[in-house]
Amino acid sequence: MYSKEELFLAISTVIDPEVGFNLVEMGLIYDASCDDEGNAHVTMTLSTKACPMHQLIQQWVKEAVQKMANIKSVEIELVWEPEWNITMADEHVKKALSRG
Amino acid sequence: MFSISQDFAPPFKLIAPFFIIGSLFYLASVAYIFFISAQNISMLDTKILGFVHLFLLGFIMMTIFGAMAQLVPVVLEVGHFGVELFYAIWPLLSIGTIMMAFGFFSYPMLLPFGGVVVLISIMVFIMEIFLTIKKVKKFNLVMKSILLSNTFLFFGIIFGLVMALGYSGLIEADINALLRSHVFLVVIGYVTITIMGLSVVLLPMFGLSHGFSTKPLEKAIAMVCLSVLLVVLSSFIKSAFLEYAGYMLATLGLFMYFYFVQTIYKTRARKEIDIYAKSLIFSYFSLIASLIFGIAYIIFGFEPLLLSSGWMMFFGFFSFAVTGHVYKIIPFLVWFEKFSPLVGKQKVPMLVDMLPKKSSSAQFVFCAVGVIVVAVAILLQNDALIKAGASFLFVGALAFVRSVFYMINYK
Repeated sequence: MYSKEELFLAISTVIDPEVGFNLVEMGLIYDASCDDEGNAHVTMTLSTKACPMHQLIQQWVKEAVQKMANIKSVEIELVWEPEWNITMADEHVKKALSRG
Repeated sequence: MFSISQDFAPPFKLIAPFFIIGSLFYLASVAYIFFISAQNISMLDTKILGFVHLFLLGFIMMTIFGAMAQLVPVVLEVGHFGVELFYAIWPLLSIGTIMMAFGFFSYPMLLPFGGVVVLISIMVFIMEIFLTIKKVKKFNLVMKSILLSNTFLFFGIIFGLVMALGYSGLIEADINALLRSHVFLVVIGYVTITIMGLSVVLLPMFGLSHGFSTKPLEKAIAMVCLSVLLVVLSSFIKSAFLEYAGYMLATLGLFMYFYFVQTIYKTRARKEIDIYAKSLIFSYFSLIASLIFGIAYIIFGFEPLLLSSGWMMFFGFFSFAVTGHVYKIIPFLVWFEKFSPLVGKQKVPMLVDMLPKKSSSAQFVFCAVGVIVVAVAILLQNDALIKAGASFLFVGALAFVRSVFYMINYK
């Protein structure tokens, strides 16, 4: 129903309030898919296992996808492999963070 | 799905008093410095003991306890056993600390009563932590360090109560023997090991560091724990060899810890030197200064070196580690409470927007200058310099109180 790119675009509205970048440009969203019935599946990680906002962030991702038309369900899969690191982020994020 | 933890953000009204009262105790302990004379500073001077308790219990422990209410589920990966118990901790700790400070200052009879009140508040905290740790199924380095540090605190506080009873004349106790154990158990065993353990979670989280080894930290914590045991043992069996072996091990462990922190710093993706990074950099260099003064004291036996070492450890290392984290923890808690329900509905601030730039910078600059000036003043035993340093610290502490209120009341 929706392509990976369309789902990523919807999820890119979710911003990490600590760093100020959205989850897609941070490289935290690994994969997203949606079947013809409108069941979406998002595979994501967090920058650290100890992230105190982990429940909220997953909730925001879920809500961002649910806002898309004809979405019936959203399943969030939080994974720790591969472990996130800064090389997974977009170039402009890396540049912005590396500014002293 | 990998579940991490629950109840990451306890109600803000539960935690806010710890930070507000902690900042006010910081201001009070800085004001106390004006009443200290350089000529009669000594480790056993009752005015110094009053000052140390006001600072350590009122500011450092109060703020750490408040922070732990939020951090324990984050680092232990389980929910609190009874987070409501924290409602009882801050009033008891506040009352007990004030009674103890007055007890040391001029009314020794207040000491055992203040000591008992402090004991109750800290025991409530320790029991809550232990019962929360009981829920943990698989222990990692952070969990082990929290278990160890709280065990040291448990014994340290009992030794402290026995000393308070001895000071007031209610019982006969070998205060000198107990003092070394009490200081080492609480200052190194609890405060230092807690900071060391939490840093493996907090420093990489805020700096976005990856790919570093935790081996140096494991070794550092093991060395510091062993040093605490050696020093405590040495005070009971009167062994100078064990005592100095303990000091040596603690020093090596803390240098090893500094090396570990440096590896996190080098591997961080976030290079911005904000108020958090500045505070921690000053904090860790103060730790090194403290260790160098401590080593110099062992070599030369000049007591002001030991006092400067303690000063840099308390007002340099502990203070700046605590204030730096306050600038991260309070905005998060306020944001979580006030703004997270509004995400997606209206524009919400970023955490960095909630920091008072001017007052946090003023706090950093004035406190850093004050810490250095007082350290020099202690070495030179110069009264005018102590007052000058205290003046800088007082302005810095006022800026810190202002920053805390600004963040808490952010709308």
